[in-house]
Amino acid sequence: MRKRISALGLIGVAALVLAGCAPAADETAEEATTSASATAEAVDPVTLTMWSWRTEDVEKYNTIFDVYEAANPGVTVEFEAFLNTEYNQLLATGLEGSDGPDLAMVRAYGGVQALIEAGQLLPIDGLVDTSSVEQSLLAAATGRTDGSLYGVPFATQTLQMFYNKGIFDELGVTEPTTWDEFIALNEAIDAGGYTPMALGAKDSWMLPIFHEIVGAARYGGPEFRDELLAGTSDFTDADYVASIQIVNDMTEYMVDDVIGVAYADSQIQFTAGTAAQFPGGSFELGNFTTQAPDMELGVYLVPTPPNSVSDKPLAAGWADGSFAINAKGENQEAALNLLNWLATEEFGQLFVDEVKQFSAIKGLTYTDPVMKEMNELFASGPTAYINLVDMRYGDPSGSTLIGEGIQSMFLGDMNATGVSTKLQDGVATWFTPGA
Amino acid sequence: MKTENKPRQHGKMPILIGVSFVIPALMLFSVFILYPLTTALSYSFFSWKGTLRGDFTGLANYVTVFTKAPFDEALPNAFSHNLLLFAGAMVFQNSIGLALAVVLHKIGRVKRLFQTLFTLPYLVSPLVVGYLWSLMLSPLFGPVNATLRQIGLGEFAQPWLGDPTTAIWAIVFITAWQWIGFPMLLYGAALGGIPEEISEAAEIDGASGQKKFRLVTFPLLLPALGTVSILTFIGAMESFPIPYAVGGSTGSPAGATDVMALLFYRTAFESGDVGSIGTSSALAMLLFLFIFGVAVALRTSLARAERKLYD
Repeated sequence: MRKRISALGLIGVAALVLAGCAPAADETAEEATTSASATAEAVDPVTLTMWSWRTEDVEKYNTIFDVYEAANPGVTVEFEAFLNTEYNQLLATGLEGSDGPDLAMVRAYGGVQALIEAGQLLPIDGLVDTSSVEQSLLAAATGRTDGSLYGVPFATQTLQMFYNKGIFDELGVTEPTTWDEFIALNEAIDAGGYTPMALGAKDSWMLPIFHEIVGAARYGGPEFRDELLAGTSDFTDADYVASIQIVNDMTEYMVDDVIGVAYADSQIQFTAGTAAQFPGGSFELGNFTTQAPDMELGVYLVPTPPNSVSDKPLAAGWADGSFAINAKGENQEAALNLLNWLATEEFGQLFVDEVKQFSAIKGLTYTDPVMKEMNELFASGPTAYINLVDMRYGDPSGSTLIGEGIQSMFLGDMNATGVSTKLQDGVATWFTPGA
Repeated sequence: MKTENKPRQHGKMPILIGVSFVIPALMLFSVFILYPLTTALSYSFFSWKGTLRGDFTGLANYVTVFTKAPFDEALPNAFSHNLLLFAGAMVFQNSIGLALAVVLHKIGRVKRLFQTLFTLPYLVSPLVVGYLWSLMLSPLFGPVNATLRQIGLGEFAQPWLGDPTTAIWAIVFITAWQWIGFPMLLYGAALGGIPEEISEAAEIDGASGQKKFRLVTFPLLLPALGTVSILTFIGAMESFPIPYAVGGSTGSPAGATDVMALLFYRTAFESGDVGSIGTSSALAMLLFLFIFGVAVALRTSLARAERKLYD
């Protein structure tokens, strides 16, 4: 019997092993910064390691860094990628010890604060020229408590409506330019035997994305965000509530029981051609083109709903991550040189051409027609995905609260006012406006 | 003299050898169990900034997980789902497992085949099982709803995993589907261990069918029942892969499939709060203490019940 009990204890403890992974750190980054002087003249060969979660892009980054290595003799950049889901723990542990990378991809906004507050990243104010970077995105790599910059954002995502041009042509419908046209379009698709919009409402993270796509213009995007952050308005604002109501009204144009549809199922709905439109992020592009290479893809911004605060359609966007320097790294001078290059148009263009994602650098050329259009759409009405950009600095996060709230609304257990109250009350536990 | 020495030598040798045999296991246990356990315990008493340990805060993290949002709502919600998973598994998984074991014990012939078939799902990763069933139950492509519609039971077709009232029961069902072979095997082994003579003696005494099962077979299965119950309890309290595959880390829809391990996972690995190491360690400690305490209590009371029965 005793044997059995200890075996039980063994299983019971498994969860704790997970928690035990993060080692404690008591030293700060100060010593490390001074040790950077140990780096000798630029002629000495130096190998810089960079960690990443983009296992699918290793070859592409190697190609990009070949360009840098050619221009900077003696410098070798080693790009190492780790499993996305394990990356945060690996990086936190790696930066703690002596075998960490010189540079690393770090998560954006709330996702990087733990590393910053633990003193694991090098502040780069004044050390890196970020003038080519889209300034609004620098918040992704800024310390929330000290306001210092800790990284150079590399990729951005934007939200818009994707549609299947083949189905549009078959039904004789076109991109809508007014809200009435948008409603008429959905009615026409429905009458034509297709599902107007594919949405994976079972996966709550998808719902705030959908809310931004159909409702950002209604609540007013950037203006509302300014008021929210200043404390002159909050999520219970009537316009914000109305934008959540729009989400509920749209269920008419989805399959019955949309609450049971998983995100992956909704992608299949669209790529298999049973749904004509997919409200989603630019990160869908890769999946759509591999799963349905023959589908002709179109994108548009949902027109402004009636009584909208914004006078033009809005595209919500955010930075996906940044490049940052290990505060304990031994080659900080060389790392800073590389980071400066990562903030240039030269790198941005290489990134766009090789990795085929949206760069955080301004003024680049996109050759892919869909990417080009998405980039133009974003430029025409940029706004921030507030619940990700500003509301992930504490627990519960804004996107979790509104996602769960919208699920309750779809189930009929909550109305739009309830969702916004839940969101406001939840973030108010850690979010202080004006701070 | 000799007779006095012998037992002493006999006692000495095993102690030394015993200790040396225990050392490797003890070291492994210390490194992989004891150390993480005690560090998690110590982490839970400090404030954290990322991986930077701050001041000793005593029970502050524990107070947080009981009183502050999102824990004040999420903790009771998740915990109640764990209890429901346990109750569901006891009622469905273990009773059906017992029935299967009894039937298979009787038929004998194709016993092996069915034992293998029923145990098969339990060899597959629960994460895979969870994803498989979420495909089966999909309202769009799922064969479950399609079959219901085809046989004229269309009104029973549901968004199984999208409706909070059915989603948690779907998890009970999926867990039972995967684990049914486990109680069946344990009960089967216990049934096989009951000597023929006892059964025959009961028959000669006039007990038959139900009466024989109730008065003879079932009491002899009690030790197996205890083991199965405790392991089921631990499994239900630590349930993670199937709820994760079915409802994601937030326990969709709207927290209806949230469980303790998911809450811990979210707090530890997905939280934007820089102090999450402290709060997640506190959660892990609470869960561990609860599981350990109840498992020990169950074991003790079952042992007492068994003794009473056989005396």
